Amino acid sequence: MSKIMALLEVEHLDVTYATKHRPPLYAIRDVTFQLEQGEFVGLVGESGSGKSTLGNALLHLLQPPGVISGGTVRFDGKDITNMPESKLRHLRWRDFSTVFQSSMNSLNPVYRIEQQFSDVMEEKTDLSKEQIRERIAELLQMVKIDPSFMRFFPHELSGGMKQRVALALALALDPKFVLLDEPTTGLDVLVQKEIMSNLRELQREQGFAVILISHDLGTVLDVSDRILVMYAGELVEEQPAKTMLQHAIHPYTHGLLGSYADPASEQVEISYIPGRPPDLTRPPKACPYAPRCPEVIKVCREVKPALLPMWDGRAACHVAEMEWKASIGKGDQRVVDEGPELVDAAFSEAASHKSLNLEGADVLRLEHVCKTYERRQGFKKAQVQAVDDVSFTLRAGRVTGLVGQSGSGKSTIARLVTGIEKPSSGAIWFGDTRVDKLGGRAMHNYRSDVQYVFQDPFSALNPAHNIEYLLVRPLMNFKKLSGEEARKQAMEVLETVGLSPPEQFMAKNPHQLSGGQRQRVVVARALAPEPDIIIADEPISMLDVSIRAEILQLLDKLVRERRIAMLYITHDLLSARLLSDEILVLNQGKVVEQGPAKQIIMQPRDDYTRMLLNAIPRLDTQTNAQGGYVPTTETVKIHR
Amino acid sequence: MATTNRDNLQKADAARATVQDDLADVGSTNVGASPLTAVPGSASAQDDVRPLDAGAAAPIAAEDESIRDDVAAATTRARFRVPSWFNILWMNKKARVGLVIFTLFVLVAVFAPLLAPYDPHNSNFLPSQQPSSAHLLGTTQAGQDVFSQLIYGTRTSLLVGAVAGALATIIALVIGMTAGYMTGIVDDILSFLINLGLVVPALPLMVAVAAYSPVKGVAIIILVIGFTGWAWGARFKRAQVIQLRTRDYITSAQFAGDGPFRIIFKEIMPNMISLVVLSYIGAAMGAIGAEAGLEFLGLGDPNTVSWGTMLYWANNGGALLTGQWAWLVTPGLALAFLTMSLILINFGVDALSNPQLRDE
Amino acid sequence: MRYFVRRIMFFLLTLWAAVTLNFIIPRLQPGDPAEAIVRQIAGQNKSIDPAQVAAVRAMLGVPGGNLFQQYLDYLNNLAHLNFGLSYSYFPYSVMHMIGQAMWWTIILVFTTQVIGFILGNILGAFAAWRRNSVFDSVVSLGLSFVGTLPFFWIAMVLLYVFAFKLQWLPIGGGYSEASTREFSLGYVADIFKHATLPALAILITAPIGWVMGMRNNMIQTLGEDYTRLAIAKGLRPWKIALLYSARNAILPNVTGFAIALGGIMGGVIFIEGIFNYPGLGKLLFQAVGNRDFPLMQALFLFTTVGVLVANLLADFMLGWLDPRVRKGATS
Repeated sequence: MSKIMALLEVEHLDVTYATKHRPPLYAIRDVTFQLEQGEFVGLVGESGSGKSTLGNALLHLLQPPGVISGGTVRFDGKDITNMPESKLRHLRWRDFSTVFQSSMNSLNPVYRIEQQFSDVMEEKTDLSKEQIRERIAELLQMVKIDPSFMRFFPHELSGGMKQRVALALALALDPKFVLLDEPTTGLDVLVQKEIMSNLRELQREQGFAVILISHDLGTVLDVSDRILVMYAGELVEEQPAKTMLQHAIHPYTHGLLGSYADPASEQVEISYIPGRPPDLTRPPKACPYAPRCPEVIKVCREVKPALLPMWDGRAACHVAEMEWKASIGKGDQRVVDEGPELVDAAFSEAASHKSLNLEGADVLRLEHVCKTYERRQGFKKAQVQAVDDVSFTLRAGRVTGLVGQSGSGKSTIARLVTGIEKPSSGAIWFGDTRVDKLGGRAMHNYRSDVQYVFQDPFSALNPAHNIEYLLVRPLMNFKKLSGEEARKQAMEVLETVGLSPPEQFMAKNPHQLSGGQRQRVVVARALAPEPDIIIADEPISMLDVSIRAEILQLLDKLVRERRIAMLYITHDLLSARLLSDEILVLNQGKVVEQGPAKQIIMQPRDDYTRMLLNAIPRLDTQTNAQGGYVPTTETVKIHR
Repeated sequence: MATTNRDNLQKADAARATVQDDLADVGSTNVGASPLTAVPGSASAQDDVRPLDAGAAAPIAAEDESIRDDVAAATTRARFRVPSWFNILWMNKKARVGLVIFTLFVLVAVFAPLLAPYDPHNSNFLPSQQPSSAHLLGTTQAGQDVFSQLIYGTRTSLLVGAVAGALATIIALVIGMTAGYMTGIVDDILSFLINLGLVVPALPLMVAVAAYSPVKGVAIIILVIGFTGWAWGARFKRAQVIQLRTRDYITSAQFAGDGPFRIIFKEIMPNMISLVVLSYIGAAMGAIGAEAGLEFLGLGDPNTVSWGTMLYWANNGGALLTGQWAWLVTPGLALAFLTMSLILINFGVDALSNPQLRDE
Repeated sequence: MRYFVRRIMFFLLTLWAAVTLNFIIPRLQPGDPAEAIVRQIAGQNKSIDPAQVAAVRAMLGVPGGNLFQQYLDYLNNLAHLNFGLSYSYFPYSVMHMIGQAMWWTIILVFTTQVIGFILGNILGAFAAWRRNSVFDSVVSLGLSFVGTLPFFWIAMVLLYVFAFKLQWLPIGGGYSEASTREFSLGYVADIFKHATLPALAILITAPIGWVMGMRNNMIQTLGEDYTRLAIAKGLRPWKIALLYSARNAILPNVTGFAIALGGIMGGVIFIEGIFNYPGLGKLLFQAVGNRDFPLMQALFLFTTVGVLVANLLADFMLGWLDPRVRKGATS
């Protein structure tokens, strides 16, 4: 009787980052799983989960000081855990390949696209130059890129195209296994969807195995056969995608699923998981999720749960184990839940302050605003219409959502509203003043009325200052408070954003806070001068999915209570629906749809809006057919 | 129960951060280039930027320090808190050696009157002597003790290095940072100035200016070096400021109402400290070498006691012919060791700003 | 294309600025330059004949006119390569002196710099590739130390050891007085013998800057994503080092090369002075010693122009090597 050997077998893998000067970081502990031939597996985890480290470890691409400190990795029957690089090299790219995170940098910047392929193909195959060129053209067509692009340099391609090239490159030698590490993070949601469905198509046709690493459970559920969930360096759940959606076993997976919702449903609600993952220099002795788990019992804090087979997959949870044993013992049919169990930390449209439906006075009015940029290309001047005839009004206590992809003009509008740039035509009214005509002192005063919440919590706070300094500056500049008064008020603001006790946070530096905490400080800084308008530019997109709802809740509460007019810029329709009263959909500088949030999303009239809605991963049980999205010919067109 | 968990978490974890994992996994590709300041359609002028990304490196670097501080505070109830940058420097082997050597030189300069056996100007001794017990390194052709000259020469080198280096660095800072922060015509003018300063060959210029100058002496040399050696540093600082200028926290400071000079000096500069230190040390090294060179050419005051002048007299006084190798060799070695100590310290400063170079 | 045009524009602009600077600096010193010159010729204590002063003035092209007129005359003279007469080599013209010395320096500097660049970058790349190994420590620390030795000191030590003590190589000069100045093999060999010590002196310190720069650059590029992808591809290690890492790491050094040429022009003064090598450096060395202003001025200008041209060539080379620069795009 022959058992088909699994393609990849990982047993009790440990990975540690050990340096001379710092305590070691135990990034991955005791991970065991298998990958079959032709299987599509998704590996999901958030910050600190170790998922990228696992991917790197599997392919022996760990960067020093990371090392595999225990366990084995077997590929196609061969033990590669300690295989010397000189032998491993022969397996590389032929048997397994990878696509890196969508950084701008994985293609060598000084060579043409063609050479990126030919160097590995010349070395590892016997094809002639002609044949290689044909094969490259073939590969590019597979990822829907015109073969003429092989003469281009990497910096001449857009982010999406570069990732597609990277995918084609990974498939160049027909590998048995491809590892994709966050391949579409940072790309537009439409491009993401296309690349993902393209990938799934190719995978079915050619039969290579895939591990897709992502922090986004929604995307992964859409395309994978089976899903692995990691938390704090440990594997906590493993299940086929279909059944995971119906019944997630581990409470953490429940929590993750709760952060997703269909924005077009009648009631929309998402949840969040309070707290932060543990510090991995002191690996937890018991269940790592216990401090945040809503179902925690005594044994969870004392004994580490083992990864055991349960229901359709495996999970490492004492509570689930007890449930499982109970259900086998009684012989009960498993009760299928109606979707994820919601923790009491949730943010719903119904319960939000939005439902209070406050009527607000007009605060800021944009009238037929246009903005054109001139670009110099060679000796010619090209005109780029960034904003084309946009009009809308911001009202006190109400949120206007600006939805669009990159290049849609939403950042330009933000710049125009803040007065950093002037419109080419049209007017911007702030009460009786024309914002587009302000200068000097008047502009400085206007600044105190318009504040900004940034996207990236890691770069919005100067690492050289402590929180106190950062909060006191706007208070001293705009409200002319003395040092002592400013300090007091700063502490009040910290309380308002939920950072309590404030004294503890005042002396800290940004790098000592987590992403969520930093974002709260950014909000606090924006609130400090008591502005009339807040512009929030993708404030949650860089946070872990499981904590986003918390920040949304905060913004919702603050804006309504203080009657601030908020412009909420995002590409994410779900949060737009949850937070905004009114939504504008932007496509290439033009407003293609405008109206109440619920109406726009539930009854979109414009094709572009529909495309955006379709691109959101659908967590119905019917997924896993060809994915919910069929690329139309328009979207296949080559865009730069 | 949920609330107490949250409290516990915040208290327990507030001191430690897994920021590094956050950064790695959430996938911030463009580290916070603010959409507000990224002007569309223009290529930001990044010439040769030294591979220093203070924006990305600084949080990581600072995070390490915080862990170390916490560990230090927790483990040793330290009465005297050594600043964390010093720790990083000290732990780097090369920097440690450099610090030790440099301190020795400083001590020699400070205690020169105690250490030198004779007055360096005293020319009453027998000229052109080989090393002996009375004159450890022999005497010059004018009858001065070489060893005493060597010791007192330390003062000149350190003085010129420190002052001329500071002068060059300050000029570079002001010009470079202003050029980097202000866009438009100001930047164009200053950039041109910087490029001019770079391209004009420094030493011939120094030679020319020193030659034309009617006054001779160390002060002139300091001025000449300071005013000709700033261009390289200015270029780097400008490039660095340009990189930092688009960071979100700069925009945030603008929104908080800070004026441009406050932003340049309180927001941008603290993130450039290690670059500034690096270039100050580099400028000091260059100044020491340039001073020696100028003295050697006879452009300084021949009566000053410095290693460069010693080499000048060694060359002109026929040390080659009389075979006085001690007189010839030792000033050069002294220059080398002093400069070397600075280079070693620079290795450590480099590691401060670029964590990739750290574990050496 | 735009890139190259911009570079040429910058070249012309800087050229103009350097020329003007050259005009201004000597006129900054107090006193009358013509008088100073005449005093030099006549000797310190003798009295000055006003007629002589006027004659010198005319010769120098410094009539008693206004500054702007002088400037135009100066530019005019430059265009005709008329720098006046050198008075330490009176009655030879400055141009003649420079013309004689030029080739010696150019050949010496060019060959040693190029060799130093190539050698230094290779060593630096190796040191980065074998980071923290014995080789790396020897190279980075050892060469750093050698780099701190003032190279005029190195030159003197070399002279002392090889010429005086061992007497293997000649003490100085570009050629032996005895040899005939014809283009024969013997003459060429003689030139080589004389050039060895100066070249060696330069070669010892020339590669060092490149080593450290390349090493740091390569450590940076080795950590970049494209290098990681190259490793993931399983390419041969030398290919990764060369075609991915080094190829990208060298780019900043190319611009640095031209700038470094400026530096070496300074160093050459010392080298040629010590070895009595008949190049531009020695000429400047003596000009400084003799306060020969016309010569100094011209030499200064020549050096600047040479450096500018080198810069331009280096910029062109960078444009060729780095496609991103051509488009004006950032990486």
